[in-house]
Amino acid sequence: MMKFTSTIILTMLFVVGGQGLSADERRPLFEDDIQPILTKKCGQCHDDIVKSGGLDLTSMIGLKKGGESGESAIAETVDDSLLWIMIDGGGMPPEDEPPLTAAELATIKSWLAVGARAKGPTEVQITQHDVLPYLFARCVVCHGRHKQEGGLDLRTVASIRKGGKSGPAVVPGKPDESLILQKVLSKDMPPPKEIIRAGVRPMESAEIELLRKWIAQGAKAYDIQPSVQTAQPDPVVTDEDRQFWSFQPPQKAEIPEIAGANNPIDAFLLRKLRDNGLGYSKTAPKLKLIRRVCFDLTGLPPEWDDVQRFVNDESPDWYERMVDHYLDSPHYGEHLGRMWLDLAGYADSEGKRSADPIRKHSWRYRDYVIRAFNDDKPYDRFLTEQIAGDELYDFENAEEVTPEMMDALVATGFLRQAPDGTGSDIVDTVEERFEVVSDEIDVLGSSVLGLTLRCAQCHSHKYDPIPHRDYFRLVATFQGAYDVYDWLKPTSVANQSKQKNPTRRFLPYISTDIERSWETEKEKIEEQIADVKQKLADQITEQREAYLNQQLADLPADMEQSLREMLKTPQEKRSDEQQALAKQYEAQLTISDKDLLKQNSELAKLEKETDKQVKSLQKQMPDQPMIRALWDRGEPSPTWVFRRGEFNNPGELVGPGVLSVLTDGQTPFEPASLKDGTTGRRLAFAKWLTDAEHPLTSRVIVNRLWHHHFGRGIVESLSNFGNSGVPPTHPELLDWLAVSFVENGWSFKWLHKQIMTSAAYRQSSQIEEDLVEKDPANARFSRMPLKRVRAESVRDSLLAVSGELDTTQFGEPDTVTVRKDGLVTANKYDEGWRRSIYVRQRRKEIPTILENFDLPQMSPNCVERPNSMVAPQALHLLNNSLIRELSVSFAERVEADVPEDRDQQIERVYQLAFSRPPSDEERTLSHQTLDALTEKWKSVESDQESDRSPESRALANYCHVILNSAEFLFVD
Amino acid sequence: MTQSRRSFLGSVSNGLQGIALASLFSQDLYQSSDLLAAETHGSHAPRAHNLLPRQPHFRPRAKAVIQLMMQGGPSQVDLFDYKPELEKHHGKSILKEIAKDLSSPDSAGGLMKSPFKFQQHGDCGMWVSELLPHLSQHVDDIALVRSMFNTHQNHEPAIYKIQSGKTMPGLPTLGAWTVYGLGSENQNLPAYVVLANPDGRLPVNTVQNWQPGYLPPLYQGTRIRAKGTPILNLQSETEEPDAVVDLSRDLLGRLDRIHQSKRAGHLELDARIASYELAARMQISANEALDLSAETEETLSNYGIDEKETDNFGRQCLLARRLVESGVRFIQVHPPGQGWDNHSNIGSSLPSICKQTDKPVAGLLADLKQRGLMDDVLVVWGGEFGRLPIAQLRGDDPKKSGRDHGPAGFSVWFAGAGIKGGTMYGSTDEIGWRAAENRVSVADWHATILHLLGMDNEELFYESHGFKERLTGVEKVRVVKEIFA
Repeated sequence: MMKFTSTIILTMLFVVGGQGLSADERRPLFEDDIQPILTKKCGQCHDDIVKSGGLDLTSMIGLKKGGESGESAIAETVDDSLLWIMIDGGGMPPEDEPPLTAAELATIKSWLAVGARAKGPTEVQITQHDVLPYLFARCVVCHGRHKQEGGLDLRTVASIRKGGKSGPAVVPGKPDESLILQKVLSKDMPPPKEIIRAGVRPMESAEIELLRKWIAQGAKAYDIQPSVQTAQPDPVVTDEDRQFWSFQPPQKAEIPEIAGANNPIDAFLLRKLRDNGLGYSKTAPKLKLIRRVCFDLTGLPPEWDDVQRFVNDESPDWYERMVDHYLDSPHYGEHLGRMWLDLAGYADSEGKRSADPIRKHSWRYRDYVIRAFNDDKPYDRFLTEQIAGDELYDFENAEEVTPEMMDALVATGFLRQAPDGTGSDIVDTVEERFEVVSDEIDVLGSSVLGLTLRCAQCHSHKYDPIPHRDYFRLVATFQGAYDVYDWLKPTSVANQSKQKNPTRRFLPYISTDIERSWETEKEKIEEQIADVKQKLADQITEQREAYLNQQLADLPADMEQSLREMLKTPQEKRSDEQQALAKQYEAQLTISDKDLLKQNSELAKLEKETDKQVKSLQKQMPDQPMIRALWDRGEPSPTWVFRRGEFNNPGELVGPGVLSVLTDGQTPFEPASLKDGTTGRRLAFAKWLTDAEHPLTSRVIVNRLWHHHFGRGIVESLSNFGNSGVPPTHPELLDWLAVSFVENGWSFKWLHKQIMTSAAYRQSSQIEEDLVEKDPANARFSRMPLKRVRAESVRDSLLAVSGELDTTQFGEPDTVTVRKDGLVTANKYDEGWRRSIYVRQRRKEIPTILENFDLPQMSPNCVERPNSMVAPQALHLLNNSLIRELSVSFAERVEADVPEDRDQQIERVYQLAFSRPPSDEERTLSHQTLDALTEKWKSVESDQESDRSPESRALANYCHVILNSAEFLFVD
Repeated sequence: MTQSRRSFLGSVSNGLQGIALASLFSQDLYQSSDLLAAETHGSHAPRAHNLLPRQPHFRPRAKAVIQLMMQGGPSQVDLFDYKPELEKHHGKSILKEIAKDLSSPDSAGGLMKSPFKFQQHGDCGMWVSELLPHLSQHVDDIALVRSMFNTHQNHEPAIYKIQSGKTMPGLPTLGAWTVYGLGSENQNLPAYVVLANPDGRLPVNTVQNWQPGYLPPLYQGTRIRAKGTPILNLQSETEEPDAVVDLSRDLLGRLDRIHQSKRAGHLELDARIASYELAARMQISANEALDLSAETEETLSNYGIDEKETDNFGRQCLLARRLVESGVRFIQVHPPGQGWDNHSNIGSSLPSICKQTDKPVAGLLADLKQRGLMDDVLVVWGGEFGRLPIAQLRGDDPKKSGRDHGPAGFSVWFAGAGIKGGTMYGSTDEIGWRAAENRVSVADWHATILHLLGMDNEELFYESHGFKERLTGVEKVRVVKEIFA
């Protein structure tokens, strides 16, 4: 046949030792000439223990194996050899280490040039762990834990040797006689027609060669233990690495003595300000404080009644009580919860595929988060439930599922938010699954740890001491639940999956109260359906009776009795006489439903209506409540390092663990299973993460809350506390907050209050002239920022001010309507529209107004909202018809409150929209414009039929201007 | 857009329905050209994010790009990549060899020759199939690359890769990178315009085709519709007398100025006012740029406008020309539907999409040439992948056969600024399955386009999380200079 180009040719592993030459002819030799140099100059980092970058340069095998990329350090030519590339030109050794001398370089060069010869063996031993990763990726879906086609299990050397119904899969030493190799070479396995369904692909030729070699070398099982942290000090990550500020546990520094600072926050901030000849800006006026606090804690403008109450409150602690009031608001959890949902990357759909299938039951996680914030769930508990909630209780065997147990399961939705296309068979491969896993690790890293873990996915982190190995220990930690070789599919993409069970990520452990209310609801609807059907049935019976009477009327009256008797008697019980009667009259006397409906249009109408009602009731039938969860499935596959992040480039076998740099480096990671059949790995991880001494957990979250209030973090790079991040502007303050947060029970509400009762937070947002130069970026917190409200708050405030906000909480998300031109709008709920957090977050159908104001695409999450100012925002607020409608509602609300008086109406508009009375200038301007608008509408009224008066129309225009104004978008 | 401020204000107050922000024009936001002078490439000072024109890294060959995004997977062996070997081996099964590239192994047939005739065209003698009679007349203006390859055989990931360099969503697209790097010549129109299906349906991967990813949102593409309201919310959806509109805008301007005057130094308030000004200007400019009534009958007919099959795509191509003429930097055009995804009935489905697009595309090339825009505008044509040389069977009727996705080798072309017309670069293997000679990766393709725009793919980066993110990532890339003039 024709030749196919670009087949991958195996170029690794074998080097001829150069036999047949005399010793001197063969020099330079590795052992005599090269090894001493490399051991001396490189061995400190690249020996067989430290193996920095995965590289051991002190042995021939180590050189051949190469580093993390898996590429041999020796190539066919000098210039292609990684070893030479690194040392030529002085890239290695690093600057602070003694360099290679010219003579040493020359020796190495000449050695590489003549074929890199050695006395000892240069052939890398093939172990089972060079082969198993491919068998897991290509075969075990049918020959493994769940299925053993042909009785064959390919997961261990023992089971491979044992084989299946056709005999052992391998004949040690004889690759050509080994069934597995024969099947793979003939390309009968994996079966070409099954691969898409099974989510596997055929073995590559390089993989087949490895398999051949392993069999040729005896198909041996070497005793290889997974790489885990032991009680011995970690040779790779050193104590020096651990010295970086954010890898050390936070320490409470002494609070500086600063006159007039009652809150430690002020003491730390003022010290720095005063050291630089600065101080705080003046305190913001009461009205601005109330608006600021309300927006910060609830994402909504304050109710005017509340504003007045607080304004009139002259007591010294009015401010504290005001803060408490908004901390206790049910809207608090909706606002702060949204911050967390950003970090988790919350979505109601799977993403990645154009079909973007809906994730049923995802909203329970959203509700969990809102409730957790409202209940001030301690952060350590909050994290533990979200990372390992499934490990906390024995659901399967519980007599009753309590709300707490259910909550813990729902919480695991945290790590089920990544975009996931594997519901479509064609992309359900190990590669794509690993993308989901690494997205979740990314979420965990950026939201909770403040580390750019993604960088360690393909190689050791370039800036932080996070070895590639540690990344894959994390993968192993999650492998009990997220196993790329044993995958639970998400919601199937319609027509793109042949797998029947599309809901495998759901668990049924619903708390008893929810189960009951579901059943009650279901029964209620079932009853309603039965009622509706009965009504129709009654009507039919009645009409049938009428028909019978009519027919009987045409027959002799004396027959009526016997005919009725006959009809009542079941066919098989009829007497001969009745049978005779039946033969003659039954057809005449009875009528089928169909014919009855044909005859009777009233009845036909009723039948149609009934059908419609039943269908609509069936639509209301609640889905069986389920939990979209992540749980440990007890038997994780082994975890191999993926060199360069590629599943088909497997390296070292690793076990579960955490980041060495955040430990003492000599404490083994002990999985902590509380029940049978689970690994307990994630629970142990959660325990480690929520340790009071953890260097990052508390720091990262207090910094995030600080950013929430001040618009700028103490560490500016909110999700990067590593070497490439921005160092803290106030390290002692950050640590004081972190430690105190933990001491106060990891309480968010405590932290809010601590921050918000500081004088720093109560500063004005006015920029005093000297500050423009002395604190241009507000890095010293010498004022408060002017903050543009978030996308949700823009929409929610529009609804709240216009009186169209339905404050119903929780439950199924509100649907959206997608207009033909692409405009996406949330649908009305009951008494208006609900807050944006309750609108369905389908990735491809984000409501346009939210998208315009920077609601992010979650890919996989959002660690900091952008704050754009672009024309589509202006266009939306100015021209969108819904905003117009809301302006009318706003005007009607104002008119209902103050029907006649223009002045009071203006006042009311300002109270509702801006939480303040208008200034004289604004009042005058408003009057002038309203008068002019009214006049205008009067003049056009004649040719326009309208039920709205010119005054009302003018007021609606005025309200529209107010909703478009800068003050509506910005909080001082 | 050369309208003076005075005449603009005049036209605003002359009763244009909708927004008229005359009173907000206290200053011309984009007059500050000193910003540009202060910025130099290579400096690490944080850059301001705006769409002002920026200097490229080196002398550009092209100033603007029209990306004809032929998503679905145009079949190279039926259009550009003539393979006589397929005729010889027609019907032969290569299932086991090709299995890993198959999306639907159940329906895999044997090798399938093209049902269409090929002929050489132009001075260069380029082979083109009979399905593209109009483009065939322009082969001496295009550079054909027959050795492109992608790494995924499914639409979504492959399109992500074409648009933004990786097989996953959430990354900035080529267009976003372009306007991030170069800004735009027209501040009254979006810098990066997308012309997607006029029927309202979004292409596969929807808005992800023009997303900004981690770049600031102002670099995202704006979808303009060829029919109806061109930009969402561009026109007021409620009719109101001009005087009412004017009064409202006037009040808004005054209230905002009061608000701003009490908050000196808060630049975000300037930005917000600027966004309202741009909104006002956009309404006028967009309407002008999109108004086809000024075009001659001849031009319309060259694009196939008012012929049933070609009307839609013809309008989009003509709009693309009007937009580049107005100074828009990057335009992405999507054909209607998934016309190139010929899984079945390739004998009729491929001619159909060719019919819809061939004349408009040829019309665009001719029009650009005639107006001298070929020196400034780069046109790129291509899908996310091609198709396999084997048949995808539909039952027993070979006439119903189509072809499955083929990422391993496919054809794309370039035309216009900086391109050596008549070039044929690279090749696939004998059966047109895998790119063989002079293989061009997606990253190479990206780097080549950036290069033509005067940008170095290594130098074009965005600092995020303390790292330099690039369109071409960490891949080793090669600018395909062989196709340059």
